[in-house]
Amino acid sequence: MSKPRNNYWLAPVLVIAGVVLVGMAFLLGFVNPVEAAIQLPPEQGPDNTDCLSCHQNPDQTMLFPSREELSITILPAIYGGSAHKNLACQSCHTDISGYPHPENNVELYRYYALQYQDTCKNCHPNQYVEIQDSVHSNLFEQGNLNAPICSDCHDPHSQPVTAKDAEGKPAYTEHAAIANTCGDCHSGIYNQYRQSVHGEGVFVNKNPDVPSCTDCHGVHTIVDPTTAQFRLSSPNMCGDCHTDETIMGKYGLSTDVLSTYVADFHGTTVTLFQKQEPDQMVNMPVCYDCHGIHDIRRSDDPEYGLQIQDNLLVTCQKCHPDATANFPASWLSHYIPSKEKYPLVYYVELVYKILIPTVLGAMVLYVLTDIYRKVMNRRKVKPALVAEVVQQSQPQEAQVPPDVPETPETTEEKAKEE
Amino acid sequence: MAHAEKQYHRFSVAQRIEHLVLILSFSTLGLTGLIQKYAQSGISQALIQFLGGIESTRIIHRVAAVIFVLGAVYHFIVVGYKLFVERRKATMLPGIKDVKDGIGMIGYNVGLRKDRPRMGRYNFTEKVEYWAMMWGLVLMGLTGFMLWNPIATTNILPGQFIPAAKVAHGMEAVLAVLAILIWHFYNVHIKKWNWSMIKGKLSHEEMEEEHAGELDEIERGEAGRIAPLADIRKRRNIFIPLAVVFALVCLFAIYQFVTYEETALTTIAPAASEDAPVFSVPTAVPEALPSSESNGNVQPGFHDGDIGKVNPGNFRDDLSLLAIAPLGELMTRV
Repeated sequence: MSKPRNNYWLAPVLVIAGVVLVGMAFLLGFVNPVEAAIQLPPEQGPDNTDCLSCHQNPDQTMLFPSREELSITILPAIYGGSAHKNLACQSCHTDISGYPHPENNVELYRYYALQYQDTCKNCHPNQYVEIQDSVHSNLFEQGNLNAPICSDCHDPHSQPVTAKDAEGKPAYTEHAAIANTCGDCHSGIYNQYRQSVHGEGVFVNKNPDVPSCTDCHGVHTIVDPTTAQFRLSSPNMCGDCHTDETIMGKYGLSTDVLSTYVADFHGTTVTLFQKQEPDQMVNMPVCYDCHGIHDIRRSDDPEYGLQIQDNLLVTCQKCHPDATANFPASWLSHYIPSKEKYPLVYYVELVYKILIPTVLGAMVLYVLTDIYRKVMNRRKVKPALVAEVVQQSQPQEAQVPPDVPETPETTEEKAKEE
Repeated sequence: MAHAEKQYHRFSVAQRIEHLVLILSFSTLGLTGLIQKYAQSGISQALIQFLGGIESTRIIHRVAAVIFVLGAVYHFIVVGYKLFVERRKATMLPGIKDVKDGIGMIGYNVGLRKDRPRMGRYNFTEKVEYWAMMWGLVLMGLTGFMLWNPIATTNILPGQFIPAAKVAHGMEAVLAVLAILIWHFYNVHIKKWNWSMIKGKLSHEEMEEEHAGELDEIERGEAGRIAPLADIRKRRNIFIPLAVVFALVCLFAIYQFVTYEETALTTIAPAASEDAPVFSVPTAVPEALPSSESNGNVQPGFHDGDIGKVNPGNFRDDLSLLAIAPLGELMTRV
């Protein structure tokens, strides 16, 4: 407002220049759209020699009043391998210039870390927005200062650039590292996950097809998995991979798992609630109630696998405590009934597939003959003038199928002409 | 032509009410059942929502089923009374004549015969419906019980019977509803609106068309003949207690049917408290990490660089600070 008027020409020029620059960046494919806001630092390394002259010395520590000791040694070899290698120290440590550093009197290391909480936003605004509604940020806002902030998962001094796949999600080569990061806090889940079919794929087989934590929970947008919404939409989450023939085909796994689930009582209820009352907690099982959440095993796992009817019975009894040995077979185990699998169901269906068209077909045929007779009789009692003509054509009509009553019409026309 | 204007009594008020209850329960069952069978279609979902969601749709279905079965129990008692106490003719029993009548009607319709067969009080189209309804009642009742009480069923039968019952229940429903739409609607509504289930009477012309045999009987004075009153009284004294026992047994069976087991329908009580989530997802339980293993797979420099590593010192003493201090206060300190 207080700016002089003659500066106004600057605005359109700047806007145009900005648009052109961003457009060029897109066209050249140098900048991922998501990361567009990140200002790339110059290619040559920043001059951090002043800082490193002290901080690369080993055993540099910072002592907090809480008697916590923080290592503040920065090894150039490690920092040089990090995603931030081209940043000057002061890009983030904006409050520190020169020596001695300004005094920092926080009591705990945690408070010190939190001082840098909003620093990442300057270069990573999209990620900052993504975490706002995450379960971690909500926890933090509720006053839990141990809830993770950026630097708890991403060590700013050491984390290398995360490899991404074609969709922009972390590449499978990152899967183990991601699980380890989450496991720092969620150790109980981590231990379960390592034993699971997915965890085994990540840690032992380095399998690109199995999910790590972020594939189900999201990268930064991690939502609260205890909500009704998460629960009700979870079958689709599992279905994303488990209905994908290109992935499942490799392991001989059925892609009918979601459709067969939806076709039965449990899945029908869950999908209807998901559409109609997504906030209603429903006790009908979703995938993970039977298969496990983080401890999902192979279905033929002798100890937990649901292909073993005894294991399945235990699972059924979680909700149906009175269930007995025959009960698990009342669930078709994601199979489509066939002569080999669940033949009784298959044959009942077959019988009805024959019975329904036979019965209804016979009924329709009878009704058609009756309609035909009604139509014929109505023509018969039409004006007395035509009666004679109609009667003459009667024997012919008897053999004409009901849907081609051509003769009576033509005879009627003739009668009118007369 | 006084003859032609004559109205013939066909259904009593009780029969008409029975039929109305049947219409209501059958239609409700058909509607609430088919939208469950085809629950993924848009129309079904709109109707399910209109009925208050899938759970209330299921409850409505079950209420209608109970009314339907109660109607059947009433019907059996009435039929029993008419046949065994009043010794009326079992006019609904199918016989060879019905097959002949059916063939005769088709012959008449396609012009192979001049006259309609002279059919009795219940002609073959009506018998087809009645016995299809009886078949449906038994089949839907049995399969419905199995679906309603799967745990009780699998105590006796193999588990496969439950999905088989579901298939049969659903497909029989399709058959029944379509049969009603094609057969019943055509025969009593489309062909000619039949008022007998509303007004209780049929005209002479209608009788001549569909129940000429009965008309003959009426004219001979043989129709609707019942046993002498004294005999009726005697037999009634036997029948009524039997009917009461039968009704009580049926009511008890229905009560069992409805209340036998609950876990297939209702939410099992949450273990902890009423407002606890039905299913709790385990939160992070601090456990010892297999640290040597886990770090073995980590990219170098990711976790084991010593940058930022904190030596807790006596930090644990101050944990209370983090846990108790209100956020605002902490933030000012930060």
